[in-house]
Amino acid sequence: MKVTLVAHTPGVETMVATSMLTTTSSSLPSTIHGRLVGSPEEAGEVVGRLEVQHGNVLEHNRLIWVVEATRDEVLEAMLDTRFLHFTRLGDDRWLMSGNLRAVVEYAQSKDSALTRELADSVMDVAPMVHRFMRRGHP
Amino acid sequence: MKARLLAYTPIASLAGCRGELTLRELLPHMGYTFAVEKISRACSHQLVRHRVASFSQQSQRYITVKRLSERVVTPPSVEAAGEPVFLELVEKASEAYQRLVDQGVPKEDARFVLPNAAETSLLMTMDGRSLFHFFGLRCCNRAQWEIRALADAMLGEVRAAEPEVFSEAGPYCYQLGYCPEGRFTCGRMQEAVEKYSA
Repeated sequence: MKVTLVAHTPGVETMVATSMLTTTSSSLPSTIHGRLVGSPEEAGEVVGRLEVQHGNVLEHNRLIWVVEATRDEVLEAMLDTRFLHFTRLGDDRWLMSGNLRAVVEYAQSKDSALTRELADSVMDVAPMVHRFMRRGHP
Repeated sequence: MKARLLAYTPIASLAGCRGELTLRELLPHMGYTFAVEKISRACSHQLVRHRVASFSQQSQRYITVKRLSERVVTPPSVEAAGEPVFLELVEKASEAYQRLVDQGVPKEDARFVLPNAAETSLLMTMDGRSLFHFFGLRCCNRAQWEIRALADAMLGEVRAAEPEVFSEAGPYCYQLGYCPEGRFTCGRMQEAVEKYSA
């Protein structure tokens, strides 16, 4: 099995921070987002408080992978989680997508080749969330 | 009311790996995140019925409501009626809320007196296929005016960002070429088609 992240929404962790602040701030979400885009330090500081937040703040993004896997492997993944979407590209080749919450919760619920590859694939786009995942809690 | 597209997965980013897949087949994989701002709670209640989406909404548990009368959405029909009872009730709700908060009642309980007209803002993320369905229902002339205005604003944002993907999005009569509302049809399909073709 091979999992390659091929596309994603930009600024994944900036949006996680925007989502966290939107629920507790009277500022408008677009204002918060604009401020955090210009201040990666503040965005990082906010995401650092992630463990006290609900998982839905991890949902405002889309990650898309090309997966090389057998039909049985894909069927197993589909039975494991209903939050990843698959489309067949060709023989043993699939387009798969979902959000960061789906990755975190799947990786925490099962240790498999797919979940390990999925977790590793978000290391660059969501480095802080990836570190939380490795620690065992988001 | 305002809707801004903050982030999305550009369809072009899949150019090298989409194979024979059509735009429609790619839609469930694409994500769109909007800042939806200054809508009423009545509108957000309708919005969250679209379950294949993610929402992060300003919480009335944590955010103190100040100057409520300046932060309500007033329906045009109420304004047209010229009837003061709407604003009088908002003022009374505001006073009751503030009195409860001043007496130490938690905001999560004091908010029970707040009206559906109270403004709220939120982040909303939806995949492309669900967004087509959302536009199909909520751009329709039969949709309630506030969520229809919101859907039109969101459609404008995604059409500007991805015209190739969303040129066919709009109310179901525009998408399908017929009105699926049956006997409830507004009877103005041609007008809708012209509006969304523009």
